[in-house]
Amino acid sequence: MRVADKMNHRQVVSNLNKNRHQLSTFQNQAALQKRITKPSDDPLGAARVLEARTEIQGFEQFEKNILSTKGFVEFSEQSLGELGDLLIRAKELAIQQASDGAAGAETRKMVAMEVDQIFGQMVNIGNRKFGDRYLFGGYKTTKAPFDMKGNYYGDDAEIEVPVDKDAKMVMNIPGSHVFMGKKLNDPVGTTKEIDPSLKEDNSPAEKAPELRQPASTMFAPVVEDPSVNDQGYWGPKSVNVFTTIKTLETGLKTNDKAVIQNSLDFLDDALNQVNLARAELGSRMSVLNTGLETIQKLQVDSKMIQSEIEDVDMYELVNNLNRTQNQLEASLATSGKMIQNSLLDFLR
Amino acid sequence: MGRVSSLMTVGRRSMMNSQTGLHTVGHNIANKETEGYSRQRTETYSNGAEGGGKRRIGLGARAATVRRINNPYLERQLGNEKSELATAQGRQQGLGRLEQIYNEQTVEGFNASMTSFFNAFRELSTNPESMPRRTAVRAAGETLVNDFHNIHSQLEEVGKDVNSQLQISVHDINSMTEEIASLNKQVQEVEISGGWANDERDRRDLLLKKLGEEVDIKWSEGEDSTVTVSTAKDALLVVGGEANHLEAVSTPAREGKGEGDYDIVFYHHDYAEPLVLTDRIQGGRLGGLLSVRSGELNGLKHDMDNLAYTIASEVNGMHAQGFNAYNQTGVNFFEPLNGANGAAQYLSMNQDIKVDSGRISAGRDPNRPGDNRVAVEIAELQYGKPVFDGSLTLDEFYNGIVGELGIKTQAANRKAEVQKNVVDQLSNLRESISGVSLDEEAAKMIEMQKHFDAAARLIRTADEILETVINIKRY
Repeated sequence: MRVADKMNHRQVVSNLNKNRHQLSTFQNQAALQKRITKPSDDPLGAARVLEARTEIQGFEQFEKNILSTKGFVEFSEQSLGELGDLLIRAKELAIQQASDGAAGAETRKMVAMEVDQIFGQMVNIGNRKFGDRYLFGGYKTTKAPFDMKGNYYGDDAEIEVPVDKDAKMVMNIPGSHVFMGKKLNDPVGTTKEIDPSLKEDNSPAEKAPELRQPASTMFAPVVEDPSVNDQGYWGPKSVNVFTTIKTLETGLKTNDKAVIQNSLDFLDDALNQVNLARAELGSRMSVLNTGLETIQKLQVDSKMIQSEIEDVDMYELVNNLNRTQNQLEASLATSGKMIQNSLLDFLR
Repeated sequence: MGRVSSLMTVGRRSMMNSQTGLHTVGHNIANKETEGYSRQRTETYSNGAEGGGKRRIGLGARAATVRRINNPYLERQLGNEKSELATAQGRQQGLGRLEQIYNEQTVEGFNASMTSFFNAFRELSTNPESMPRRTAVRAAGETLVNDFHNIHSQLEEVGKDVNSQLQISVHDINSMTEEIASLNKQVQEVEISGGWANDERDRRDLLLKKLGEEVDIKWSEGEDSTVTVSTAKDALLVVGGEANHLEAVSTPAREGKGEGDYDIVFYHHDYAEPLVLTDRIQGGRLGGLLSVRSGELNGLKHDMDNLAYTIASEVNGMHAQGFNAYNQTGVNFFEPLNGANGAAQYLSMNQDIKVDSGRISAGRDPNRPGDNRVAVEIAELQYGKPVFDGSLTLDEFYNGIVGELGIKTQAANRKAEVQKNVVDQLSNLRESISGVSLDEEAAKMIEMQKHFDAAARLIRTADEILETVINIKRY
């Protein structure tokens, strides 16, 4: 084949360009530590990297959500623990004062004062705040859910927080349930209508045990809701914790042994109710902990996938770099020889 | 028997022939680097003999023609392949720019800001009472809006770039067709008298190739040695010594291009109206660029509008049903859009929310500061709910855009690379036939010089013979 000078030149230039282009590609990969620096390097890989990144970003957020939910749940659980302790104390007092052997009108009056204090502490627990949000107010987190008489001003809502792509977790237990004994067993994720009786303009005062009548007939702490009693979440009997304590206090004040004895049953129910709520919170905690672990593991998995797709294999890269470098040097050496020589050099 | 004087004539002619040859060698060497040049050769013929019978003696040689060494079929094929290479490179160039807009392999881009936007709502759902979290939602919303605007204006920028390339290209095309027309005349003038217009033809061939790199052309050579060039099916660019002009003009929006983007039109006295060629141009660099403009660029604009409109209307739909920190309902998160058209450009946050992030709704009922249901619902838009014809989530839709663009760019890159190899090989083949080799020319030069020496020696010999003859009497 006849070889014209331009062929040589073109070949030299195009080979050198090829070598240099390769070298600069590898150099770029080395500098960025990435195999894919633009979508066209590996379109499917690039799309998968985007997916993985979205997932990782999402997991980071879900992790935050779980941690803040966990804080809320933990604090609720702790508060209900204290509530349970107070109920146990009230029950001890009630047992002591239920028989005439150890107690009389005077001791009962003194114990009534302690029970009143317990009542106050319970209200305080009901008005606990996590950060600047009330724990037991349902959606009404910025106003104290209970007044000093134990009337409830919150709502029935369960606050659901997204903790995974397709999972939500209820963060709170509304005071209407654990304190007021309103049942709560709707499946998670449904929208609950707010009980009209709990709208703020309805005064809950009517339930307050203020009137002086024969206490044994007057105070019925059991919430009058047949559905609750039949199939209620909190067990066979749901009770208003505050009314229960108030009943005990009234029984003590009026030195009415029957009322005191009667209130023992209600105290048991109340304790039961609080313990059930604690158990519920405890199981949420374990779900959250498992969820946290899962998410942290998935995060690592996604990062692995992302890295496998887009990160450069250093051994391979260094190898490639060296090879290309050698190629370039060989090209340069041979090019130099090829371009210089001409017949004219030998004509003298 | 030949005469001594004729011996001198043969020598003289021979010297002249070798000088012509040397001139041609010189011309070749001088044009070694000239683009499109084909090496030339002097062709000599032997002169007829004189005398009779068995002693017919040849009368030397004469230089008949100087011809270029060239394979017209190969030149045409090379032109076609170069035109295809230019198409591929035009696409590669256009797609490469588009790809950069969507490249977030090494930096955070739109995908990240979309995720941040929904994450901000997720964060808000854990604490809807919190003002700082609302402000974070607003900031994420503004980032998203800005990203939409950025991508939109970068896409517009690519469109403008295509416009200016069209202008430059049309200018080049016009000057090339002018030159081809004038070369047509020159070739015709030279060749009508039986000569060979070597250099003019080289130049014309080169221009035809270059023209083909700009647009797809068809050309043929007539019996009068002129070429007729047409583009985009039937727009005659060159006929004989006449060239017709193209023009790039800004025209209103229509399918495949935006408002004010350029069209290529053809003016010709045969047509009452100027002919719009834009959609008929299939090849050359312009064909590549135009196909990116009417295809990918247009599609991407449409996709971004669609995405912006869907996000705005879905988010608004949920947001307006919620209640904000002031118990207001019916508040939009984004300013409502009239339609998908131009949504990426006009998307903006509700002015009231911009002023006060307390106007962001998180809950579905009034007077419930802890109500997070609307925030949760909006966050679920990201991958929970399919929005595009019920088949794709927002995430999938956007990642699909990037993936598809990547595939197209990769294909264009490959096509350009393959085509480059084809062109390189054909170019080598062409050089192998028509290219100048210095070694060859040097050898030729020596050959011609020796030839010249020998011819001169012949004349001297003739001279000596004459002298001998003249001096016969003296001895």
